[in-house]
Amino acid sequence: MPRSLTLSLDGEEFSVQLKKIDRNDLYGSVEIEAFDEKGNPAQLLVLAADGKTLLSKGGTALATLDAKGNSVERNTLKPVNTEGEDIETVESSFGKSNTLKLAEINDYLSQIVKSIYILEPVENGDIKFLLDHLSSGLVYSFPFSYRGGTEYDNAFIIGNKADAFMVIGKEARFQFAKLNQVAQLDSIEDEEISGDDIDFDLL
Amino acid sequence: MAINISNQKNRDAVVAFEAVMPVRNVHFVDEKGNAVETRRLLKADIDHDLDALIKKRKTMSALSKALIKDNPEIDIEEFGMFLTDTSKVYVSKKGIIHLVDEVEVVSNPDGSLRERRSRKKEPQNINTDIPLRWTGKFIKKEEAAHRFVFTHKRQLIHVNGLTFDFLYDMAKELHERNSFLIVRGGEKGDRPIVMHRGGLQYNAFLEGRIKGDEYLLILQLSNIELKRPKELSGES
Repeated sequence: MPRSLTLSLDGEEFSVQLKKIDRNDLYGSVEIEAFDEKGNPAQLLVLAADGKTLLSKGGTALATLDAKGNSVERNTLKPVNTEGEDIETVESSFGKSNTLKLAEINDYLSQIVKSIYILEPVENGDIKFLLDHLSSGLVYSFPFSYRGGTEYDNAFIIGNKADAFMVIGKEARFQFAKLNQVAQLDSIEDEEISGDDIDFDLL
Repeated sequence: MAINISNQKNRDAVVAFEAVMPVRNVHFVDEKGNAVETRRLLKADIDHDLDALIKKRKTMSALSKALIKDNPEIDIEEFGMFLTDTSKVYVSKKGIIHLVDEVEVVSNPDGSLRERRSRKKEPQNINTDIPLRWTGKFIKKEEAAHRFVFTHKRQLIHVNGLTFDFLYDMAKELHERNSFLIVRGGEKGDRPIVMHRGGLQYNAFLEGRIKGDEYLLILQLSNIELKRPKELSGES
């Protein structure tokens, strides 16, 4: 069952249900089936650097290591901010009222999108008040965390004239470019060499 | 990465095309306050994963007893090995194969089968001899924001003084118009953007912002509209 979220806009509180949507819900999906030259089914696996060890999807794990390469238990880790100071964990956005603030369109367009939800009214409720506000093209935002954790994502409430959506994202790290900040292209330069420069010891 | 793109005067240039990362305000440290890193490890190869273990023991109860008694899921030589420089390969019962027949199984949003077709891998079209085209088709930022979701972003950056002016002028025009420019690829300039061979196709929109003598030129990529899926229609 979809979870309900309480929003507050211009002093009025109302609840919405979140339904996650993605590309597959709108346009369908494409799966790849593979076969060898004799028509036997084939599967995509991961080949380790040794050239012989094959792994399936669940064959890997992530480990956290300290500077010496020793494994560190995740529950002993401490979240800190960019200055190295302790940070307080944030609570889930469900089960509390979330105040919507007017957002700039450029801020919305600067998000790296993580997920999209369509907002539906809860049973016996309606979201006409919200849709009326969104119909003029306004966009709202609030800090959002699904389960609680170390930091909030940005939630933007935006409409398409018929429906209301919640787009969750993180601000992208854009940097305005100056004349003296030149990027390097990854390219292979042509280079004239002599036969003496070629090492045959490796062959 | 590089991108070949033309401007409003139909002049083209190859400039840098960089991925954009999210702002990270939180980092994790160990108990002594030192930074930690995350590495990918081998947990089980295909001879020791669940499918292989069940095949050998036939039943789950026999497998659970074996897991407790003998640890057959652990290969002592490989378990915990750091994984770097991995690659993806197709494997059939003959082993690793190089000649692969790929079939795309296309399903409708309701899960029903639409078609099966041979996979056609479109080549990348962002850095070829044919530049991405300045189509002259603009859409107001507000309208674009309410119609599409821009799931991916890339930043265009100059590689020398000449391309600074080239990109700055593009950003300035888009900033002043408060609009996105629709960017297309291919010989006829009518193809969506493909960033690597066989990769997803995106509708690309160029966004420009300027701040004094600095510019920001972003390629906003979208492959989803902001709209209600048909299966949810009629529910509200």
